[in-house]
Amino acid sequence: MAGALEGIRVVDLTMWFQGPVAGQHLADLGAEVIHFESPKGGDLGRGVRSIKALPVGDWNQYFLVINRNKKSMAVDLNKPEGREIMHRLVAESDVFLTNLSTKALAKWGCSYEELAAVNPRLIYAMGSGYGPYGRITKPSFDLTVQALIGVMTRQGEPGQPPIYLGMGSGDAMGGMMAALGIMLALYAREKSGRGQFLDASLYGAQLFMAAPTFQAFLATGDQSWARQRSRLSPLNPLWNTYQASDGWMFLCEANDDDSWQRLAATLGAGGIGTDPRFDSTDKRRNGAAVLVAELDKIMVGRSVEQWMEIWREAGIRSAPVGNLAGLAEDPQAWANDYFVKIHCDEVNREVTVRGLPVGFEKTPGEVKTLGPELGQDTELILADTLGYSWDAIGELKECGAIL
Amino acid sequence: MNAALENVSVVDLTRRFWSSLAAALLGDFGASVVKVEGADDEAGCLLDESGGGEDAAWNYRYDLANRNKLSLSLDFNSGEGRAVLRRLVEKSDVLISDRDPAELEGLGLDRDWMKAANPSLIYTRATGFGPEGPDSGLPAIDELAAARAGMMPILGQPGQPPVYPGHGQMYATVMLAFATVTALFHRDKSGEGQEVNASLLGGNMYGASLDLQAFLAIGGERFLHPVSRLDAGNPMSGVLYPASDGLWITLTMPDTDRWWPALAEIVGLDAGDPRFDSHDKRCGEGRLELLQLLDEAFRKHPSSYWREVFAERQMSADVIEDYNYPANDDSARDNRYLLDLVDPSLGPLSMLGFPIFMTGTPARLSRTAPRKGQHSAQVLRDIAGYGETEIAAMEQAGVLR
Repeated sequence: MAGALEGIRVVDLTMWFQGPVAGQHLADLGAEVIHFESPKGGDLGRGVRSIKALPVGDWNQYFLVINRNKKSMAVDLNKPEGREIMHRLVAESDVFLTNLSTKALAKWGCSYEELAAVNPRLIYAMGSGYGPYGRITKPSFDLTVQALIGVMTRQGEPGQPPIYLGMGSGDAMGGMMAALGIMLALYAREKSGRGQFLDASLYGAQLFMAAPTFQAFLATGDQSWARQRSRLSPLNPLWNTYQASDGWMFLCEANDDDSWQRLAATLGAGGIGTDPRFDSTDKRRNGAAVLVAELDKIMVGRSVEQWMEIWREAGIRSAPVGNLAGLAEDPQAWANDYFVKIHCDEVNREVTVRGLPVGFEKTPGEVKTLGPELGQDTELILADTLGYSWDAIGELKECGAIL
Repeated sequence: MNAALENVSVVDLTRRFWSSLAAALLGDFGASVVKVEGADDEAGCLLDESGGGEDAAWNYRYDLANRNKLSLSLDFNSGEGRAVLRRLVEKSDVLISDRDPAELEGLGLDRDWMKAANPSLIYTRATGFGPEGPDSGLPAIDELAAARAGMMPILGQPGQPPVYPGHGQMYATVMLAFATVTALFHRDKSGEGQEVNASLLGGNMYGASLDLQAFLAIGGERFLHPVSRLDAGNPMSGVLYPASDGLWITLTMPDTDRWWPALAEIVGLDAGDPRFDSHDKRCGEGRLELLQLLDEAFRKHPSSYWREVFAERQMSADVIEDYNYPANDDSARDNRYLLDLVDPSLGPLSMLGFPIFMTGTPARLSRTAPRKGQHSAQVLRDIAGYGETEIAAMEQAGVLR
């Protein structure tokens, strides 16, 4: 089956994760995405050697998964010949995607003005740190922007350090946003015939990511939305994490009398369901700390599996708090292609990669190849797409403009 | 200037925050989004029983998730009401819904009928755990999806309870919009409609991409249990250090060779110190010692001092702020990440703005969230193509509310 973006060509001058993963979404859906890299080592993401103080793996999973389904060109943009290649490629492309600094882009002849002059139909998609009107000029990364937007400060228990939402969590959102922006611009271009500039910054993406609580803070001005809230005093004690004898669980029930009675009936002989301290929504809410303390004592009395069985029977919404090992075996994730297997040349075996979270009935995404070797497609693209002669390509190699 | 999704009409049958917000995103970029509500549904309500955020004068969650929409209120129990809904779906480009197939069938919208009546329709389906698999019917609650996605145990420090971060659903929101626009793009070329989908489980997993992929390739306990901040893999990247005023600072310098001389200087270390004079040493044998030294060094000055130093030297590092920072940040308004509005009864309000800046087809706020049924007659006339007499009769009969 042909992908939805078959025939769309993307020049992907990106690095690390935010920019490259935007290109990955398009490549998964059939776009021809050309990762444009420096001949000196390429995307710095290729050089990730360790994660969490562990060797990156026997295959270069960081780069190869983020840049799956892409081609690679290794071209030196410090050389005029390299910049000419870029301009000729942009003239034949639909999208230019980047998350590099405007300073580097200007130096390499890749400013919006220059590229739009080469191709007025071009969609120029920027993944910046702080947005077009941002005042901060230093290099941005996911975590240094996440730090500013405030979402880290409200995670976890009071007194504990702030919490990062996960490696690359904000980059992942920025990349998804850029992909959406590109599709909006492509859709608009079908009608208008014109390209445009767009920016999906880390700052904007991460504020969106914080929407559920950030909007609450904006609307109420209540400082408690900006701070850590202990699980020992939740807004609704029936919607909280609890620890069983062998692990944690998430309980998700409404704080109404019916839900309380259904839950209480599963909690054993103590008669908590008739305890007058907890016999109304308001009492359970205002006395949440006392109720959580009582529930904590009851919950450790059984295993997660036992509680899940009891609660399934009683129609109580809940889930064990699982880890990544459990997820990797989860049939639900596999059934929906959230994991896929693909052959990895580097180790000559099948490997498991994160899959396709966006489902399409008629034009499904696909992981056809892992990321490219540095510059593996340079010569073919020069010859086939841009019409360089083999002699000219030889000269480009000679002068070091290409790898 | 035209909007990107001008002339795209969307029927919105979502009821949860994250899925409703996806439809609002389409509206932000110009789609005509009709929120269809059952006459019996409580007005101004999202499906949410978590018990957070009530008692505010402004119904902000609902209003954010339903901005740029029209509202049609229909009696779903009457055959006529369901016929109106079907006619609207027949004439629209997109149906976005977070209801399960049985509920849609009850509304007269089974999938086979959709395919026959409007083959070019994009049916955007929001689910909790994906449309396939043994648990495809579980309720679409982000906490349950996050619990399953594997990150909750490892976000905090060792010995702490699991952390529910709350952002997993937002990836799914953007994915729903991305899938919809991509399918529209394909449809305009091929004439072919289709079902597209995204889920809370998929969103949470995608947000955890780097940890998840590293676990798949490397494995091991460091991905299953929390790692102390003073045992981080790279002392110069992804680590939190306390400043003297109780605030925290953080650095991201994965390519440590580039940044080490400058960092060493500001914390009073010798860049040539043989314990730390290569990337491999800083992230290897010298790692734990360097973490300790940096921890001590950053405690010597307040966060404001460090912010200035980082800015002066253009280092990728910053102070960890709370929500007061973006709420008071002028650049967030200049970028339209925040919008200031004046509500006739509530006064000045700040609302989350638009995460994507576009020069040719910018997002805009055309209308705030509608009152229930506010646009019933207008939608019937302009989108479904009913005549005034028919509309009046339906109003009379209570089909429209």
